[in-house]
Amino acid sequence: MIRNQLRLAAAAAACLVLAACSQPADMGPPQVDVPTPLPSGIDFSPEIETEPVDESCTPLASYNPGTTSVEQAIAGLDNQDQITIGVSQSTNLMGYIDPETNTPAGFDIDIATAIAHSILGPDATIRWVPMTSGEREEAVNSDRVDMVVRTMTMNCKRWANVEFSAEYFHAGQRLLVPTASGITGLADLADDHRVCTGDGSTSVRTIAEQSAAQAVTVPDFNDCLVLLQQGTVDAITSDDTILAGMAAQDPTLEVVGEAFSQEPYGMAFQKGNTDLARYVNGALAQIIANGTWQTAYNKWLEGPLGVPGVPPTPQYRD
Amino acid sequence: MLAALRFTPGQLRGVLVLVAALILGAGITGMTAIIAKSAVIEETTSQSGRLSVAALSLYQALSQADATAASSYLTAGTPSDEMNETYREAMRDATVALATAAGEVKTPADTALVAELNARMPVYTGLVETARTFNRLGEPVGATYQEQASTLMREEMLPKAHDLQENSLGQLNDSRAEAAAFPWVAAGLAVAALGTLVWAQMWLSRKTNRVFNLGLVGSTVLLVGFAGWLATASLASASHTNTSHEDGSAPLELLAEAEITAQQARAEESLLLIARGEDQAAADRFEEHFKALTDPGKLLDRLDEAFADDAELSANIDTAREAAETWRAGHDEVVKLAQSGQYTDAVVLVVGEGGGEDAPSLWTSFTTLNNALTEATDVSAERFAEATNDAQRSLSGAAAGLAALALGALISAAVGIQLRVAEYYA
Repeated sequence: MIRNQLRLAAAAAACLVLAACSQPADMGPPQVDVPTPLPSGIDFSPEIETEPVDESCTPLASYNPGTTSVEQAIAGLDNQDQITIGVSQSTNLMGYIDPETNTPAGFDIDIATAIAHSILGPDATIRWVPMTSGEREEAVNSDRVDMVVRTMTMNCKRWANVEFSAEYFHAGQRLLVPTASGITGLADLADDHRVCTGDGSTSVRTIAEQSAAQAVTVPDFNDCLVLLQQGTVDAITSDDTILAGMAAQDPTLEVVGEAFSQEPYGMAFQKGNTDLARYVNGALAQIIANGTWQTAYNKWLEGPLGVPGVPPTPQYRD
Repeated sequence: MLAALRFTPGQLRGVLVLVAALILGAGITGMTAIIAKSAVIEETTSQSGRLSVAALSLYQALSQADATAASSYLTAGTPSDEMNETYREAMRDATVALATAAGEVKTPADTALVAELNARMPVYTGLVETARTFNRLGEPVGATYQEQASTLMREEMLPKAHDLQENSLGQLNDSRAEAAAFPWVAAGLAVAALGTLVWAQMWLSRKTNRVFNLGLVGSTVLLVGFAGWLATASLASASHTNTSHEDGSAPLELLAEAEITAQQARAEESLLLIARGEDQAAADRFEEHFKALTDPGKLLDRLDEAFADDAELSANIDTAREAAETWRAGHDEVVKLAQSGQYTDAVVLVVGEGGGEDAPSLWTSFTTLNNALTEATDVSAERFAEATNDAQRSLSGAAAGLAALALGALISAAVGIQLRVAEYYA
């Protein structure tokens, strides 16, 4: 015992003398977390809006085309020689840049092209202006574009800021899941499931109110597909059109369940530019009647959505 | 013992002991100071030098890889051979630099940084390759993978590479300060020994009525030589060490920063188009990087200032500045094209081969800028190595020479005094 203490004391003294008793550096392997690539701005517990939904109007009712002439419509353009159309360039199947040709393509693009041809003829000069969903209302009202055709849901809040055409597509919110997950609808989602959607969209609120799952938001909903493929989230919720665009890129994913929200898409115009809205409504009725609408649906959406397309019946307020 | 000092022979021996102790002290501390200096300079060229070079080239290679991967995504699955080559070379440089750094790190913090970077490397390349595959298949989700790869690089890998570089440069600066320090203890002891010798000779000449004691005079001369050599060697090596910093490593850091800033701006420019013009954050980051490069008083101006009296290097900076201006003008055109829906034209302008000197694409402008900075970096690196070699050369032989001089002075003093002592017993 005493001998041990002596040894300790001797060792301590030796340490002091040598002054070299600094601890040897910790040479164990450093602790490194498994790197998980995440998009910037991802939010794993987004705040859910609780403000009551504005239901003071009939969102589907647009302006009756009546006898509005094409001249009146052209007079409503910012530049009479061309038409500028705000679109998405990153929503597969609806409005996106085809990576092989670098040109805009999709259902929204086809509908917008048909409308433009109806206004300015088959040689119309169309300028596509890419924009985020947050820019849409500002873009039509600031003359950046003549109209916006970009998966835009008609609702009373937006009617206060822009004019809408009649409904040109009826979308609804659904779920995209891996086929092997066994999830077949909202009821299968438990509180340990993460469901991804774009921030600022109404989908966040709907999924939070109607299911037990934890919502995860990202600034660009395209990030959701990558997160689902990487296994960071269990499902994606958004409009079925957008989900179809994702499912088309990955054969192991499928769109499941009934639609649990109504998303009527309208084309948007500057507030007060009702002449253009009226003329476009006439043109829309025409492309529905002549089969252009059906062709576009069959080309882009029929396969991925798995149901035959039924064009919406236009509703007018006057 | 004390009694002996009352008589002259005893006093003489006492003087000898004092002088011997001081000369020995000066000799030993002087020699060790020079040896330590050499070792530290050796270290700046080897261990911490190699670490900071590796950290710097890692940082550069990573940001180069990011810029090229993003650009090549825009070429719709068929990037040019040059772009492919640049990306592969950048990844090779990054992995080699990381392996080198792993062998040189000394602190647990640096070890952790290298491990974190290493863990992210395969994740990054995985994302880039997935992006390319989806892009070839024509699936737009490839764009999101490419964005995620760039986010990983921008938010995690580049900051860690930067930290590693800062740490290694910090260590290098510490070593440099150590190498440039003057050996005050050795110099002080040498001066004290000289003083004692001079006093001893005056004392002896009073005692013995003889003006010179050859041994002590010889010792004094040798000791003056010792002090002179010590001072010159130390000052020269310090000056070379500082030159290596001012002409070499300081501009090197500045050049690297400029190069990395340009590469990051290039990556953001590509991301802007990859996001189909729907990513304002990328546009903002581009502006930020470009401002840091070209605004008055920023990187290019600072480089101009650093190379003001060097025609070769300032020519490189002029080329870089010109290319940056062309790039800037082209970038504004790209933004205009993208916002007005002329996406294909925008992409061609960003990643195309351009129409020769009169109509360079942004890719050629960026490459010109990048190459000009790389050339300047090579010249600076050479100067750094030269100055470090000079610093080492000025120390060569100093340790052995100082030891010989101190020993000579010691023997000479001992003989001189001993001869006087002997006279008392004759």
